[in-house]
Amino acid sequence: MQHLKEYKINFSDFVSQENAKLALVLNAIEPACGGVLITGKKGTGKSTILKAFMDIARFLHLPFVEVPMNVTEEALLGGIDIEETLKQGRRIYQRGLLCRANEGFLVIEDINIFPNDILSLIFEVQSRGENIIEREGIALKEPAKFVILATMNPEEADFSPHFLDRFGMCVIMDEIKEKEKREEIIKLNLQDSKKDDDTGIIKIILRARDFIKKIKVPDEIKEYITELTLKEAILGHRADVFLMYASKAYAVYVEDKEVRREHVDEVAPLVLIHRKRLIENPPTEEQKEDKERERNSEERENKEENEKKNTLSSQFPEQGNSQGRPSSEKEEVFPVGESFNIKRILLKRDRILREAFGKRTKTKIKGRGGRFVRSLIQKRDDIAISATVRAAAPFQSLRGRKDHLIIKEQDLRYKGKERKMRHTVIFLVDGSGSMGVGQRMIATKGAILSLLVDCYQKRDKVAMILFRRDRAEIILPPTSSHELAMKRLNEIPTGGRTPLSAGFLETYKLIKRLALKEPQNRFLIVILTDGKANCSISDKNPYEEVRDLCSILKGYPLIDFIVVDTEKKDKFMRMDLAKKIAEWLGAKYFQIEDLESENLVNIVNLNRCFTGLLNKNSMHNNT
Amino acid sequence: MIFPFTAIVDQEEMKLGLILNVIDPSIGGVLIMGEKGTAKSTAVRALADLLPDIETVKGCRFNCAIEGPFCSDCLEKFQDGGLIEKEKKKMRVVELPLGVTEDRVVGALDIEMAIKKGERHFEPGILADANRNFLYIDEVNLLEDHIVDLLLDSAAMGINTVEREGISFVHPARFILVGTMNPEEGELRPQLLDRFGVCVQVNSLREKDLRVEVLKRRSEFDDDPERFYQKWEIEQQSLAKKIVNAKRNLKNVIISDETLFKVVEITSELDLDGHRADIIMLKAARAYSAYSGKEEITREDIKTVAPFALRHRLKRLPFEDISTETEKLHATLERI
Repeated sequence: MQHLKEYKINFSDFVSQENAKLALVLNAIEPACGGVLITGKKGTGKSTILKAFMDIARFLHLPFVEVPMNVTEEALLGGIDIEETLKQGRRIYQRGLLCRANEGFLVIEDINIFPNDILSLIFEVQSRGENIIEREGIALKEPAKFVILATMNPEEADFSPHFLDRFGMCVIMDEIKEKEKREEIIKLNLQDSKKDDDTGIIKIILRARDFIKKIKVPDEIKEYITELTLKEAILGHRADVFLMYASKAYAVYVEDKEVRREHVDEVAPLVLIHRKRLIENPPTEEQKEDKERERNSEERENKEENEKKNTLSSQFPEQGNSQGRPSSEKEEVFPVGESFNIKRILLKRDRILREAFGKRTKTKIKGRGGRFVRSLIQKRDDIAISATVRAAAPFQSLRGRKDHLIIKEQDLRYKGKERKMRHTVIFLVDGSGSMGVGQRMIATKGAILSLLVDCYQKRDKVAMILFRRDRAEIILPPTSSHELAMKRLNEIPTGGRTPLSAGFLETYKLIKRLALKEPQNRFLIVILTDGKANCSISDKNPYEEVRDLCSILKGYPLIDFIVVDTEKKDKFMRMDLAKKIAEWLGAKYFQIEDLESENLVNIVNLNRCFTGLLNKNSMHNNT
Repeated sequence: MIFPFTAIVDQEEMKLGLILNVIDPSIGGVLIMGEKGTAKSTAVRALADLLPDIETVKGCRFNCAIEGPFCSDCLEKFQDGGLIEKEKKKMRVVELPLGVTEDRVVGALDIEMAIKKGERHFEPGILADANRNFLYIDEVNLLEDHIVDLLLDSAAMGINTVEREGISFVHPARFILVGTMNPEEGELRPQLLDRFGVCVQVNSLREKDLRVEVLKRRSEFDDDPERFYQKWEIEQQSLAKKIVNAKRNLKNVIISDETLFKVVEITSELDLDGHRADIIMLKAARAYSAYSGKEEITREDIKTVAPFALRHRLKRLPFEDISTETEKLHATLERI
């Protein structure tokens, strides 16, 4: 009977993917190669090859430690086991994952959906080669030299180029197209493999590890390496160093006695592929097609969804194509208007325990950090020592205290902590022609600038989605760089129709993607529009679409909405469509003027603070 | 084994920024801004080797200076009629890791003492270690906000006051902040930015020969750190000597009225907030002339150090574009 085996594929049996295999072997030979990042779509064998490699590592007696997605800082770095400590009356130290990986491999699967703060910690320790623990009253150092092996699926989330640079090598694993090979893979998964086991490769690695100490990289090769990196215009010197070690490892791997140019050429793609500047390679045809296909399928889905509810008749004036006046087709970039101090917008607190950071809304905190507000009986991560000691104090004579304090389970008190957190603020900006009328866009940009300053002060992450003409696009992916946001704001063009529903759809997709990475993230969506939707993504009425999307968005947890109405409120032309949208979303509704804080003191401060900025802006606009 | 400071190829600006701070700690630290992989951290860790001795009160956990200010422990001792004894310690680079907790930074209740003896004792934190030493924060822009607040608080006062878990304790916390950051990864708060005396920039080397040299030295170091170290020993020692000499001569450097006038001219031209820029520019210029063995601050000295002191102070608002300001700075420097 045939049955599926579980990760029992031998490393050497692995079909194709020579690059990935080579990269792993080189790292086993020379840890200074700097680790491997395997990227590829789902189901291309990223994890499988690592699991297969694990057997080899085990055979070589190298530690092979996996970092689970839900890892805490404590588990990673090690720390003091407070409960044990209190029981035993002396410090009990727990070793962290990173120290256990010393001299071996640290495996991080799906590294791009790991929280960034955890990754910074890991890379910090790696760059230092030792783990310094400075927490809860302990300070000690332990060696932690490890090679990071990571996988990621670029479809899931982006990955910071800074982290990317820390990897010595990067391998792209794509599905294999040749039929015979695919057949082979299926067979491999079904049968018990009885072909050659890994002893061959292990022998090679062992011998190479021994031999590598004896060879040197000639100066001529070093020059060749720098020529290569200079030609590719690669930033920093890490690439040079990694490439040197990779070439060396490759030379011993192919049993050569010296490092030659061919060796460098052979491994250069592995080391350099992820360091090339992205600007220089536009997306290939294939990628474009992929994107196209993706968009089409999503639109289809959306249509289906919409068709189900296709009973609603609109209570709004039919706007359709008639709105597309020639004047609004013209594209214009308006300057940024005057900014002002934003009114304090209070958002609801929730009861989720999270690891937070920022300054907008207060939240309860789990793990380390935060302000210790009260001691609790409910179990939390940190023990409140003084409260525990106080709770134990009355019973000491009863418990027969001799030398040290007797603390029982029931005395334990925990730290309830609180901190403000940031939100991810998504600006959904209407860039349609109607926003250009009467220079509404100038005031709108001013409002966005003011909100951006507010976000900066509250340390929010910001993203910007612009919808105009026939589609919506993310003009600013979520970032903490408010500088960049400012730049993008300046560049926002106006003109074309109003695909409001496309904007909402894009927002929904973005939130879904972000929530995958940080499920406890709070979102604040700021919609700046006059609400005059006149372009739909399916063949339905644009307002029906908007309403459906609103109800979907509203049902998503942890989102707050603000609608800023940019319609000019004069007596004749007033539709208040944005207000309607605010109702659908359950959003807070403001007109631009209402956003301004009425606090006099604030205004005084603000004037002082912003005159410089405004002058600069106007200067900028004149030129 | 740490990579020797003198063996770092080029990056003279970064090296100079660090050296000036060793010569005159009151410059108040250095922020190293640069791309990834440009030996930022390597340089700071290597610095430890070059640091001179400091005089402290004997047995003090907080490195209290002989002339004060003193910590609660020392004060208590003196009130009881204790004598001040001197002790020489080597200056250190104390690291503040990213994952640090609040109680480790400021210090906390000593758990062991509390449980064993039921006594309250203060256990010093990183700020205590850092007193009169270097406090090094790698990736300072990624540091948690509430930790930054704590640092700002003590950096401003030079004192760490602890009032928590029933302990109350005061000790001096005057440290030289050394931070590295890669601006691509996020901004630093202007308030913290201003705390760094000088700011230097590092870029990856573009010349082929220098890049090859980087590789050569690196592989030489990796192959046999000890031998590499010996090879650079002489240079290390001569630099250390130069620093000690400069430190000694620092107070003797003449500051003419003309110098003062030039400094003020630059800062007023640029319309900077506060006076810290003036003071630090002057101090840095003085340290630089002492380092280059001169008796008086010259125009060149000011020109060399002015960008260090001003670069990170040009921007006062979150979204300001500083390119015009930078041009202005260069123009002003050319003129004086």
